[in-house]
Amino acid sequence: MALQTRESATAEGPSIAAPNAPQFLPLWRLAWSNFLEHRMAVAGFGVILLMVTIALSAPTITRLSGIDPDEQNPLNRYLTPWSTVSLSSRQMESLMDQFIEQKPEVAKALQRELVGQGGIPVSAGGSVDTSADATGVERPEDALYGLLRLEKPAQKEILKKLSSPGKKDLKELLQGTTTLHVLGTDELGRDVFIRLVWGTRVSIGVGILVAVAAALLGLLVGAAAGYYGGWIDILLMRVTDSLLSLPQLPILIVVSAVSLSKLEELFPPLRLFVTPANESIVKLVFVVVLFSWMQVARLVRASVLSLKEREFILAAKTLGAADVHIIFRHLFPNVLAPLLVSVTLGVGSSIQAEAALSFLGLGIQQPTPSWGNMLFNALEIMQEAPVLIVVPGLLILATTISFNSLGDGLQEAIDPRALRR
Amino acid sequence: MINYIFRRLIQTLVVIVALSFFCFYLMTLMPGDPVDLMVQSNPRITAEDIVRLRALYGLDQPAHVRYGRWVKDLLQGDFGYSRTYRIPVTELMGPKLINTFVLSVAALMLSLAIAVPLGILTALKPNSRFDTVVNFFAFAGISAPTFWLGMVLILVFAVGFKILPASGTFTIGEEFGFWGGLWDRAKYLALPAATLAHIEIGVFLRFTRSAMMEALRQDFIRTARAKGLARWQVVIDHAFRNALLPLITILALSLGGVFSGATITETVFAYQGVGKLVYDSIIANDFNVAMVSFLISVSMILFFNLVADILYGFADPRISYR
Repeated sequence: MALQTRESATAEGPSIAAPNAPQFLPLWRLAWSNFLEHRMAVAGFGVILLMVTIALSAPTITRLSGIDPDEQNPLNRYLTPWSTVSLSSRQMESLMDQFIEQKPEVAKALQRELVGQGGIPVSAGGSVDTSADATGVERPEDALYGLLRLEKPAQKEILKKLSSPGKKDLKELLQGTTTLHVLGTDELGRDVFIRLVWGTRVSIGVGILVAVAAALLGLLVGAAAGYYGGWIDILLMRVTDSLLSLPQLPILIVVSAVSLSKLEELFPPLRLFVTPANESIVKLVFVVVLFSWMQVARLVRASVLSLKEREFILAAKTLGAADVHIIFRHLFPNVLAPLLVSVTLGVGSSIQAEAALSFLGLGIQQPTPSWGNMLFNALEIMQEAPVLIVVPGLLILATTISFNSLGDGLQEAIDPRALRR
Repeated sequence: MINYIFRRLIQTLVVIVALSFFCFYLMTLMPGDPVDLMVQSNPRITAEDIVRLRALYGLDQPAHVRYGRWVKDLLQGDFGYSRTYRIPVTELMGPKLINTFVLSVAALMLSLAIAVPLGILTALKPNSRFDTVVNFFAFAGISAPTFWLGMVLILVFAVGFKILPASGTFTIGEEFGFWGGLWDRAKYLALPAATLAHIEIGVFLRFTRSAMMEALRQDFIRTARAKGLARWQVVIDHAFRNALLPLITILALSLGGVFSGATITETVFAYQGVGKLVYDSIIANDFNVAMVSFLISVSMILFFNLVADILYGFADPRISYR
């Protein structure tokens, strides 16, 4: 049994692992060098790190790019990648209004400098009141609004020459008037790139959450069944096996179609942690966890069955340790390694399950973006905007491949059978 | 053996009944019942009407009473009416079952034809460049989300090259004759079958490969080689025959999908099968259809799980049944 040999190695340290190994290396070093040999796993690990970084820095990316992931723009639907959108002149003018209202002094200084430079069509457009010039009253708006009407290169030219302290503010304002949509826009004119960034956060977050929750549930069930045996074992394993034999998707569809508001009438405490905003996420996580803990439970039960006959457990029992203590302090550390593998593999399949359910419209609901629900609407309009399909799908593919190969690599790294090869 | 089969059959039946109640109960928790829908479509309905209608449909009863009534009707052969299509459920299910069967069998054949030879070849030369490439694609095949692959195939073959129809089951409103009709069906079948096959290809391939490698390590292979048999004879007659064992099981397991339908693939391609029916009827709150199609779907899978276990026993006499 591969499991037993691994357990003995982790339980009793290098003294067991050493005879098999060419040098006296600690087990984790062997595992690490083995892992590094698995090139796909290392690459997968890199991709995962990148994705997690993107997911964690989603707010920063939003701030830097200045694009709101929920901002809808019906006039600019299905833009092609790398297209630029400018605001309408009215929107620009209202932006400028705000600026002048908030910082009148800065605006006045800027205006003076602009007029001094010349080259700005102060009286262009109908809104400028010519009588103001005649009376000699300074109106900073005129020059600033005139600047808005210029072409981009001309604006830059003028900005470069400015020296007053308001230069930075003005530059930011002018940049805000145009938006570059790196990956185009979707059916509501929202920026696809920034939604993908937030979708990464949701999809990977849900994937990891589901995998960890399923592993914990499986760990508890498996440990209880394996350690106590008897009718507890029979009962728990019956449930596990029958859940395993069920076809997942039809049941997932039925469960996800349930409306939580009807459930809340039956169990009022649900209201405490379910809000309309997170309802779809809570439901999705619950549904997917419900169907993904069984493999872990069987795995843990199998290792616990063999572990509990070993001397160190007997020693703990003789010393009078409580069952809970034995399970948590002696059994759990020994099943951690295979558990890690199944969590890693579980993240991949959870992301897929999330994507599949969201794709069917039963998973995470708009406006919260996830990779799956971005594909949901994309099916209808694939001719106009193939990017909407290709990019989220590639992200799902890359992430699941990465998690799967990382899991494979970890498996080989910690499995002594692989060590011998 | 008979005893074992009998016991498993009973177990499967119990699971199916439990599941059907579970599903029935969940459906009462879905938003909107038939009377709600009527109220929406008819603003002049009065409160008395609503109460009367609920009593008429038995919706004022608790869930377990309604479940009992539903099972009684089912056992008497009354599957009920589809609310959406306004035809009996049996009439609706027939063609969908056939469509799903055609699609799944085509996908299964396709994946076997590709996966088994590739699996054998890679097992003969493990860790070669060929093996690495094939393995990578098998891996990618397993990892690729079905619905996404379907969409990409539509993009390439239907939108890009315009050689295959994007969705549907057959061309509506045209007569082709027998062979023409068959060709027409085949064209609509190609993309969904390929989509459905991609995961099975990956799974079968990895299975064949590992089973073949296991078989090739056995002593009797060395004996066969030593006595001077031709290489292909060793591989096919001696190794592959033994590798067939696990393959049979996995094949029987996937047979469950032949009738249960592939919800996602069928939805992406708007292919009129059972899987899409399960999904559509649940979304549309078409209660009778949802229950029956769900039951068929689930029972098929459970039944073929059982078949797989029994087949395994026939194929490998070393396995004993308790």
